[in-house]
Amino acid sequence: MSPNFLLLQAFTGFALGAIYVLLAVGLALVFGLLTVINFAHGAMFAVGAYIGIFVFGLTGNFWISLVIVPLAVGGIGLVVERVLVRPLYGRGIDYPLLLTFGLSYVLLDLIRILWGKQGLPFDAPDALSGAVDIGIGYFPLYRLFLIALTAALLVGLWLFIDKTSYGLVIRAGARDPEIVRVLGIDIARVWLMVFGIGTGLAGLAGMLAAPLQGVFPEMGTPALMVAFVITVIGGMGSLVGAVVAGLLVGLAESFTAIFAPQFSQLSMYVIMVLVLLLRPQGLFGRAGLLG
Amino acid sequence: MTGEVILAAEHVGKRFGRFVALNDVSIGFRRGRLTSVIGPNGAGKTTFFNIVSGALAPSEGRIRFDGNDITGLAQHHFARLGIAKSFQITNVFPWLTVLENVRVAVQALHARFDIWRPRARHRDLTERAAHLLDLVGLHGQRERQAANLAHGEQRSLEIAMALACEPKLLLLDEPTAGMSPEETKSMVALILRLAAKRTVVLVEHKMKLVMGISDHIVVLHHGELLAQGSPDEIRANPEVRLVYLGQAAA
Amino acid sequence: MTAGHLVLPGTRGRRLVDAIARHRVAAAVAGLLVLPWVMPYQALAVNVLVYGLYAVGFNLLYGYTGLLSFGHAAFFGAGAYGCGIAISRFGVPWPPALIIGTAFAGALGAVIGGLAIRTRGIYFAMVTLALAQCVYAIFYQWVSLTGGENGLRGVNAGRLLLFGWQLDLIDPTTKYYVVLVFVALALWLVSRVLDSPFGAVLEAVRENETRARACGYDVRATKFLSFVLSALVCGLAGSLMAIHLSVVPIDTLNYTTSGLVVMMTLLGGMGTFFGPFIGAGFFVVVEDVTTLYTDHWQLVVGTIFMVFVLFFPRGIWGVILQWLRP
Repeated sequence: MSPNFLLLQAFTGFALGAIYVLLAVGLALVFGLLTVINFAHGAMFAVGAYIGIFVFGLTGNFWISLVIVPLAVGGIGLVVERVLVRPLYGRGIDYPLLLTFGLSYVLLDLIRILWGKQGLPFDAPDALSGAVDIGIGYFPLYRLFLIALTAALLVGLWLFIDKTSYGLVIRAGARDPEIVRVLGIDIARVWLMVFGIGTGLAGLAGMLAAPLQGVFPEMGTPALMVAFVITVIGGMGSLVGAVVAGLLVGLAESFTAIFAPQFSQLSMYVIMVLVLLLRPQGLFGRAGLLG
Repeated sequence: MTGEVILAAEHVGKRFGRFVALNDVSIGFRRGRLTSVIGPNGAGKTTFFNIVSGALAPSEGRIRFDGNDITGLAQHHFARLGIAKSFQITNVFPWLTVLENVRVAVQALHARFDIWRPRARHRDLTERAAHLLDLVGLHGQRERQAANLAHGEQRSLEIAMALACEPKLLLLDEPTAGMSPEETKSMVALILRLAAKRTVVLVEHKMKLVMGISDHIVVLHHGELLAQGSPDEIRANPEVRLVYLGQAAA
Repeated sequence: MTAGHLVLPGTRGRRLVDAIARHRVAAAVAGLLVLPWVMPYQALAVNVLVYGLYAVGFNLLYGYTGLLSFGHAAFFGAGAYGCGIAISRFGVPWPPALIIGTAFAGALGAVIGGLAIRTRGIYFAMVTLALAQCVYAIFYQWVSLTGGENGLRGVNAGRLLLFGWQLDLIDPTTKYYVVLVFVALALWLVSRVLDSPFGAVLEAVRENETRARACGYDVRATKFLSFVLSALVCGLAGSLMAIHLSVVPIDTLNYTTSGLVVMMTLLGGMGTFFGPFIGAGFFVVVEDVTTLYTDHWQLVVGTIFMVFVLFFPRGIWGVILQWLRP
């Protein structure tokens, strides 16, 4: 096996990891600020893919879909936070989890009602099909695009958190209304917005994953598992942890796929068990949201 | 044997990252006495309390109890050894009844892993719990849920729970915090009654309160031992006066 | 919730509830004895029994100890596969197979529980879910032993000669009452544990871990023991399910089965003795009725569940208790 082949496989892992990172960052962001685990995060991933198909069917333009999907799914997230999750704040940490679990059932069936039970194909746009020579061999252009887009989004997110006053609240992980009032910010609106951003990222990840794996109603379940496992590996609520663990899981999956394909599904669980044994708080747990 | 050291902190230090909360504190608490640990806010009282009650492990130094080194032991062992504590922030089982709160605490000593015989048949546990509730003046409240008690009553309940493990050493962290003058008075009376038969360590920041009731006083300041002695010695100590007056002026 | 304008139930109602609470195992068994005659058909009644027991096991951990597991399908499934494999692959008669299934679930509970209690709070739910999904993935791929995607077939309990008495599990009525014997036994055991001093420790840990530790309780050991007990009860339920269905579908291990027990327990009333069975009964009937009219029972069930989380978190039995004993 040549070094170039392994390197290419690593790139494949990064592309897969990029989607995982988007998923997990959304989850971590919401948890970091609201201490809410969104069990419907996987369902939002699926909703994103279906809205992508819908918008693409209307416009025939991948790029328009790419803009509309995160906005639309984020919008659904806003409604969910405002109407369903907000009444549960202060009632114990389990309740939002339980509620969003129920919501995931509802969303799954709504998808089946609107788009049917059968899977649908979703192709990468022509501009991104084919492969390019990246020095070590040919690599699918769409996967390269995934890596680049995720990197760009992470930089954008980092700027938002580091440079804006909303970001300041997020960084402080502020649960203290006093501090927030001093900053002149309505904390309820920050929570609302963060929930929207989190679900929007899930939706975007779903649409981006669609050309790789197709679109089917149950696609949210494995996505949710991956997002949970990454969160446990990276450390609850840590964005850096989500990024590192997401790439790690992507790499592990892509390498086990060539050496021991029957274990590729299990690889992330093995990493998780190791982390639980050696560092139960996660790789980046307790180091703060950006630490 | 009254007078010998029951709990000793030897060169105890605690750091949180770069912040030094306690530095080289050595104190011996003597059997049968009521010792108060005082100091202005931020003196390291609560950190010290958490270390001698087993909630935190010290960064340096040792803790000895009855001559045995107990540094770094898991917290539940502290209770079994006979070191009981009440918390600064009220800490009860909110949705259990008052009697059940104390009964659970009593049973930790006697029937910890009885998984089979019904609780109702452990008469002795219930009787002991009822007795402790009498002692702290909560006899009439047995069947209420702990969450529904008044603040002062919850603090008394906590003390009954601390007494449940028949402690050789009772640690109380600001037991009168947030209490009305009326409640404070009856709490002080209770502490005095308890101290008549037990070794008590009281952590407090109200200097006036401890002066009248303590046998021995330890003063912490900026994480270090500033002074110790009888109430009169402490009252006369110029350094202590400076610290407390300085605080009062600020 | 104020009930000021409602007609307050008399002391008679309260006394009745107290009497039922005192003889809760007998009351539960009495209710279950007549259940087959009020259900639309008997297979449904067996489902209530088995799922009810599954929820009882789960409730031990969530309702009484305060640990929300989203991975209990692993124990229900381990019981089902353990019992099913013993019968179909090794020809073990069903009574020892039940023990094998239950023990297997308990052992798996020790492994998963041992890992999961290293984490706290909401983390615990995610870790149990992920570990259970890992078990699912292993069973899915181990086709030679488990039948993989197609499930385990040929779990035929058949007849058993017991003290000269012929037990024919093909007959639905016989099957129901045989299963009920095991469920009643398990209920009695669980009730003893809840009544024991250890039961009080479980509640103490749920209420306030810090305080329980200060009282001298080893919180981790308590959680671990509670987890394993819970896994054993769920494993027995799974074993009974294998005998009831004669097959073990792979979805027995899937996360929807974990979610199912969370829903049933919350709908019925978590932390109450009867809640799990009431929740199981409610769920089984709602699912059965909705599937008559629509494919989309998940939409209906999910919506009902959300309404309960938002407005009736004490569940059906919890609300009834609150009304009778304000």
